[in-house]
Amino acid sequence: MEQTRERSLMDNIEERLIAVILGLMTVITFANVVARFLDHNILWALEATVFLFGWLVLLGASYAVKVRAHLGVDAVLNMVKPSTKKTLGLMAAAVSIAYAFLLLKGSYDYWAVFADLPPTSGRVFPTGFEEKFRSQSFYEVQDVPMLGIFSFLEGWINYGESYEKLPKVIPYLVMPLSMSLLLYRFIQAGMRLSQGKAQMLIASHEVEDAVEDAARTLAESEKKGH
Amino acid sequence: MEVAFLFGLIILLLLIGVPIAVSLGFSSIVFLLVYSDSELSAIAQTLFEAFEGHYTLLAIPFFILASTFMSTGGVARRIIRFSIACVGHLPGGLAIAGVFACMMFAALSGSSPATVVAIGTIVIAGMRQVGYTKEFAAGVICNAGTLGILIPPSIVMVVYAASVDVSVGRMFLAGVLPGLMAGGMLMVAIYVMAKIKNLPKGEWRGWSEIFDSVRDALWGLLLIVIILGGIYGGIFTPTEAAAVSAVYAFVVATFIYRDMGPLTTAEGQANHSIFSKPQALLTAFFHEDTRKTLFEAGKLTVTLLFVIANALILKHVLTEEQIPQQITEAMLAAGFGPVMFLVVVNIILLIGGQFMEPSGLLVIVAPLVFPIAIELGIDPIHLGIIMVVNMEIGMITPPVGLNLFVTSGVAGMPMMDVVRAALPFLGVLFIFLIIITYVPWISTVLPNAVMGPEIIVK
Repeated sequence: MEQTRERSLMDNIEERLIAVILGLMTVITFANVVARFLDHNILWALEATVFLFGWLVLLGASYAVKVRAHLGVDAVLNMVKPSTKKTLGLMAAAVSIAYAFLLLKGSYDYWAVFADLPPTSGRVFPTGFEEKFRSQSFYEVQDVPMLGIFSFLEGWINYGESYEKLPKVIPYLVMPLSMSLLLYRFIQAGMRLSQGKAQMLIASHEVEDAVEDAARTLAESEKKGH
Repeated sequence: MEVAFLFGLIILLLLIGVPIAVSLGFSSIVFLLVYSDSELSAIAQTLFEAFEGHYTLLAIPFFILASTFMSTGGVARRIIRFSIACVGHLPGGLAIAGVFACMMFAALSGSSPATVVAIGTIVIAGMRQVGYTKEFAAGVICNAGTLGILIPPSIVMVVYAASVDVSVGRMFLAGVLPGLMAGGMLMVAIYVMAKIKNLPKGEWRGWSEIFDSVRDALWGLLLIVIILGGIYGGIFTPTEAAAVSAVYAFVVATFIYRDMGPLTTAEGQANHSIFSKPQALLTAFFHEDTRKTLFEAGKLTVTLLFVIANALILKHVLTEEQIPQQITEAMLAAGFGPVMFLVVVNIILLIGGQFMEPSGLLVIVAPLVFPIAIELGIDPIHLGIIMVVNMEIGMITPPVGLNLFVTSGVAGMPMMDVVRAALPFLGVLFIFLIIITYVPWISTVLPNAVMGPEIIVK
């Protein structure tokens, strides 16, 4: 097993964020069902839930790298000798870093136009910034209304025009944000592998922790039984 | 050729220990960069649209949340008591009760490993105490746990429905009859084994125990009624049903069973009543236990959905390159009929299911074989059930079946022992798979009766 780390402030923030986003999704969807019984409709409920869903999974993905919760196939890794295992692990980390890097470039390019920023040039590697691009900072989402706290954006990127609905730049911000975090976490994980502090990038199934707890409970109850 | 490259790369990456999500995503990105003129920004957009464009998938976090509340809330214990009261007095009674409890828990949760953990922890210990061997106990639970993905609600079915655009409601209904049948077959097998081997039977505690235990378990079991009744009564969509059941599970666990949250007390004492601590109505929402459950469910959602989102990039590639159509043509040209096709699907899934988590596998294979199946005149719902049953079997097939692994962890016994213990029941499920594959009626009769015949749009 891996050595247990000190729980940091970042752990707390990430874990609370995951809990809060899922809680919000549930409450909004539930409220919409209740509202419908009262002949109302929360128009923005579905769209807001879907955005929260995206935020939850994309931001959570980097947290999952940190706590080694991403699912994978460990059949081969468990058969080979430790030195081979380490080499394979480092190769896997390199692939993951490349993946996060490519998606970071893609995410930034996709998001930038909504933020009135220039996307990067180059197809695979960013070679600089496009000089000419068509700004899409006036694009709004379909249902979620504009929130007062974001009104500064109107001056910043929308040339003083006011937004009626939330501008797309806000929900899509999660993409460059989450992909930078993912890149950072994969680099970290790769370093842990190379220093021998971790053996694998992956978990073999979704209930690894729960299985450990269950095994302990079962062993205890057997002791009591005999 | 390009297809071989794509799938070869995915398999290679999986085997060297790249996370499933990254293997799928990275291979698809490389493929698109090499063989098409797609931009990276378009690929990033596809990733985000996995959430934006697939409303159905939204049901998954809510079902996971409901099931997490249910597992923490001691519902498993109550269900087991009820099953023992019903069938515990038969020969092999406790084992049969274990299967029955797995079936009921499967109807509350959408996942097989979760079912093994929740039921196995209690039942395996119980079976040992009355004289079953640990192997037999583990073998039973390991197999019965696979029903988690066949009996609705089922996360795997939601994934199938989302990736090939069929109705979740139909898939759920289609799983009911096969689920009861598989559970029944396992119970009969245990009964026969018990008669031959003279396995212990419990005592009949009378109708009053059944009555008491059902009253105790009722709050949990009502969840099934809410989900299925809500969907088929037309009250809410599957996603809403999932959200409602999550809220319901929270209320039951916190305020009725009081196994978690502000109203719990140390073991052995009576829980607080809501009247003695009315502020709990507010504090429950922010209680440590609630937050932990939300976090655990959220974490599971993240790992599953990140795989699915990346698999949807792959699906995008497959559709763009018309790969399923090419395979269909090749298969039809080679003279493959529906029967051969289903055999091939079975083999692919059985092998894949041994190595991979079911929803991840499904979301890769489903879009690939679905168009072929439609071309050959196979019912999409029937195909879905076949795929689910295949993955059940994959989960208990060596070398690396998921449920084998989980059971060996829970029971603390070597993997090979669990494999041997699971073998006789594996035979039962295999016969079940053959029946399900070649008798579509079992899967389609319920959805067609309740929701009208399926209209296939090519």
